[in-house]
Amino acid sequence: MRILLIEDDELVADAVVRGLSLAGFTVDHAPSAERGRAALGAEHFDLAVVDIGLPGADGLALLGALRSEGKAMPVLILTARDTLADKIRAFDLGADDFLMKPFEQAELAARCRALIRRANLSPSGIVRLGRLTIDLSGHQLQIDSQSVELTRREWLVLESLAHHIGRIVTKERLMQALAGWEQDLTPNAVETHISRLRAKLGPAAVIRTIRGLGYRLDEVGEAPP
Amino acid sequence: MMTIRRRLLLLLLPALAILMLLGGVVDYWIAVATTRNAYDRALANTAFALAANIRIENQRLRFSPPDAGSALDGSTIYAITGPDRALISGTSTLSGSAPSASRAVGRATFWDIGLQGQRWRVASILTPTALGPVQITVAETLERRARTQRVMLLGKLLVDFAELDLTLLLVWIAVYYGLRPLDQLTEQVERHSARQLQRFDEARVPGELRSVIVAFNRVLELLHDAAQAQQRFVADAAHQMRTPVAGLLAQLELLQHEPRATAVATQLGAVQRGIQQLARSANQLLALARAEPVSALHENFKPVALKLLVEQLVERYVDRADKAGIDLGADTLAASVLADAGLLEDLLENLIDNALKYTPSGGHVTVRCGPDARSAFLEVEDDGPGIPEAERGRVRERFYRLPGSSGIGCGLGLAIVDEIVRVHGAAFSIGGGSQGRGARMRIRFP
Repeated sequence: MRILLIEDDELVADAVVRGLSLAGFTVDHAPSAERGRAALGAEHFDLAVVDIGLPGADGLALLGALRSEGKAMPVLILTARDTLADKIRAFDLGADDFLMKPFEQAELAARCRALIRRANLSPSGIVRLGRLTIDLSGHQLQIDSQSVELTRREWLVLESLAHHIGRIVTKERLMQALAGWEQDLTPNAVETHISRLRAKLGPAAVIRTIRGLGYRLDEVGEAPP
Repeated sequence: MMTIRRRLLLLLLPALAILMLLGGVVDYWIAVATTRNAYDRALANTAFALAANIRIENQRLRFSPPDAGSALDGSTIYAITGPDRALISGTSTLSGSAPSASRAVGRATFWDIGLQGQRWRVASILTPTALGPVQITVAETLERRARTQRVMLLGKLLVDFAELDLTLLLVWIAVYYGLRPLDQLTEQVERHSARQLQRFDEARVPGELRSVIVAFNRVLELLHDAAQAQQRFVADAAHQMRTPVAGLLAQLELLQHEPRATAVATQLGAVQRGIQQLARSANQLLALARAEPVSALHENFKPVALKLLVEQLVERYVDRADKAGIDLGADTLAASVLADAGLLEDLLENLIDNALKYTPSGGHVTVRCGPDARSAFLEVEDDGPGIPEAERGRVRERFYRLPGSSGIGCGLGLAIVDEIVRVHGAAFSIGGGSQGRGARMRIRFP
């Protein structure tokens, strides 16, 4: 998976290039928006990590230009400015994620992985998550290439979670997903389906409960230790 | 200083009262003169009427007094004297009192005399007869006119008094309503919090106040510019500090993963903690600068959905809580407040950061929000060691740290929270946790 890092600070850029390489990505580096744009025009990248504070045209201007050219590749915005206005503008311009400096390398790598996975989701409809292979169009779940039978409701829960790997899916959302199939749905019913799904996934994947909020599908070992 | 309203009333009311009083006195004198003339004319008419009763019998003047109940009642006396000044009829004491100058035919003359211990008004005419001029003198006591004058005076005074009252009332109403624009401006200025640096509409201010408002607006503009400059500075400073710190931490993290780093792992860990502390302090100082009244602008206030904010922040901190072995959860109900979303994020970050920092492994941190009786609340509760009641006031002070607390933190977290709470006009209370231990930080919005 190929990432283009557009960052002018050498210390940060050097560390990120090496850190993401260690995490298994192929990383190219451009020190300015102009060089970055040239690279993006010439070659294919799965993801761009763009700093806002660049010399000349800034990262947000670059993002705007990319989106107006119709480039839909995922973009993660890095910034040292923490004004909410920047954040809102970044998302308005079509940023997929936003990370504040300073950050942890593991966190950056996890977010890059999640963004690329999400971007690659739609065409194939297949999500790979550690030992899991989730075929969203075929409604199939495999663990280590072994098919696992899921009930319709368990599948709906897994599908919702798989669409947002690494992100919290609220209980309300899961209830909405199940609403067409179950009358008089209670929050307890969601919990029941989650625990059955957990039993079927076994140690191959973790569905975390975030108290009062919802659930998050994590790859085993992917969540920070 | 005295209010303008009181000043105007103090200037207007006594002056008006004196004017009205003077008017009353003049009115009184006019009334007195008018009554005197009217009574004098009536008295002269009585004299002319008496003249009609004089006839000549056998070359002698005779007078037959009119019937009782006519013009001659008890308070009127008369004297009729012939050309030889002999009394023909009437009261003899009256006939001699006429001044000599009064002997003109056809015209009445008037004078005052004292008679029988009373004051009298006398009218006298000369009426020609075949035997020569006859003088007819009529007098009435001043008592009657005094009574009439008293009634007139009383009436006049009553009217004047009512007029005075009405005038004062009208003046008071005029002054009160005339100064309404001032009150409205005062209300506007009062509602204008120091952080809401909006200009006043100069067109909607009375002419007298326009220059004051123009000057006021200029000051507001200066403040607004200063606030924006500070915000820009904070943003720039953040950028300048965070970038190298981010580079250092990222490099250090890579270094720690190298095999040869195991030998110096302790030192690397210490350096990392030091840089993290530096990063946190810089962040905190900038957050504090951002929250300060001079830079927090009310124009950034927008409706903020608390539930969404809490969910985003809990999601952000879930992994850190996991690492620390703390169960971080939320308990949210939809609620919206008018606030600076960036500052609220700072506020909640600091509260969650604090709770995670001081809660031991195995503990719980719960972030709550929802509507309350007034508007809405935000709350972060933990079951850590809590804050002793005696310290709950002091922990909000800048750089104050609980005695015996560990090395993390720079003592700014709650000061930032306190500042942001104040900018929003909210209330910040520090209490104990619901399970009898821990701390509960509650923000109630106005």
